[in-house]
Amino acid sequence: MSRFLTPATLDEALNALSHPGAKVLAGGTDLMLALRQARLSGTELPELILDVTRLPELGRLELDGPAYYLGAGLTFRCLEEDPRVARRIPVLAQAAATVGSMQVRQTATIGGNVANASPAADGLSALVALDAVAEIASLGGMRHCPLGELITAPNKTTLAQGELILGYALDPPAETRGQAFLKVGRRQEVAVSRLNLAACLDRELSDPRVVLGSCFPTPRRLRDVEELIQGATPGPELWRAAGEKAAGHFTDVCGWRASATYKVPAIARITARALSRAWAQLEARS
Amino acid sequence: MPLEFTLNGQKVSLEDVPGEATLLEVLRQRLGMLGAKEGCGVGECGACTVLLDGKAVNGCLTAAWQAAGRQIATVEGLAQGDELHPMQRGFVETGAVQCGFCTPGMILTSLDLVEQEPVPGDQQIRRALAGNLCRCTGYHDVVRAVRRGAKYMRGEGEEQ
Ligand code: FES
Ligand code: FES
Repeated sequence: MSRFLTPATLDEALNALSHPGAKVLAGGTDLMLALRQARLSGTELPELILDVTRLPELGRLELDGPAYYLGAGLTFRCLEEDPRVARRIPVLAQAAATVGSMQVRQTATIGGNVANASPAADGLSALVALDAVAEIASLGGMRHCPLGELITAPNKTTLAQGELILGYALDPPAETRGQAFLKVGRRQEVAVSRLNLAACLDRELSDPRVVLGSCFPTPRRLRDVEELIQGATPGPELWRAAGEKAAGHFTDVCGWRASATYKVPAIARITARALSRAWAQLEARS
Repeated sequence: MPLEFTLNGQKVSLEDVPGEATLLEVLRQRLGMLGAKEGCGVGECGACTVLLDGKAVNGCLTAAWQAAGRQIATVEGLAQGDELHPMQRGFVETGAVQCGFCTPGMILTSLDLVEQEPVPGDQQIRRALAGNLCRCTGYHDVVRAVRRGAKYMRGEGEEQ
């Protein structure tokens, strides 16, 4: 039987978390599944379940000042519906809207999403495209870690026992950045991502970001695709070429496995489409 | 420490609730509230949907202790005596209930939707109910039911 604790302060949370055998509940949509599995198979339950969702530190949402900050306890539903998120970081609003069902979006958080590092997690690609840096607390103090380094393999992160993600600092995308998120799944809603793509473009194409998720072990920025776009002439030609290049990554990383027949052209198409949407968004603003 | 929350407007207090217990099992096994069902147990079907502070959540993916100090609504709390809730009437009148297994979840999810969107369009209804599976109706009548229920909730009359 597990004990359940809802700490009122961050100190209390970090103290409790420093004991081995403590597990964080950051919404519960993944943890409760794991617990169900453990109960069915008779394996050991965590000694302590620590519900961090009520900590005020994790509920911060700052998109007005010069530095953007998203608390790890924000739910996908909140990100999907907050008008500031939709305006300032639409790529995350769009990604949040595609996560699970309404019931899941209501409880699942961007903290849990990253800590569990599911390869199918939709939120991750968008956060990587926004250059999110995780702020991680433990009794020993605070550390900062770019998301790309925090997630090392499917369901693996560099988080140690005792560490808690408080939130993410984002560099504010210039107001003039177009952003788009697209996902391919088996059905339109509630589908587990098979591929997803997050794109951010600035008007000069000086710092394009293209992140492919779900089909790789961890979400990754496609640096060579970004280089191809950098400083080039925007338009359908360029988006198509970028798509082809992106598709090349799949066979490089994953080899020619059976799903490649389907995934390779799908990557080319969603990449081109996401870039063209991000660009259209910029045009619409001018 | 007892687990305390408000269930359909009434305070409840339960001793010895393990940390790993789901809200669904506590509602069904400790409180005798059988409206929320366990369909899949893994967050796919929505039969276990209840409202937590007004928001639809899967009872099977929610720890019972997450409800501490909060408001839980289940389908049992909707009717006033013999008078059905307007959303329930919408479902009954449009034939959106066949075996009824999915219905409590459908109705509660719809209430969450209508709370934010008093005049929901068909697409919005379909999207909101994407996590509620039905083995019987084919969904068409469910969409009509939600439209009709929303209309009754706005105090408007029969749908033409
Ligand atoms: S029983 Fe909870 S979603 Fe199916
Ligand atoms: S009415 Fe039977 S499952 Fe929906």
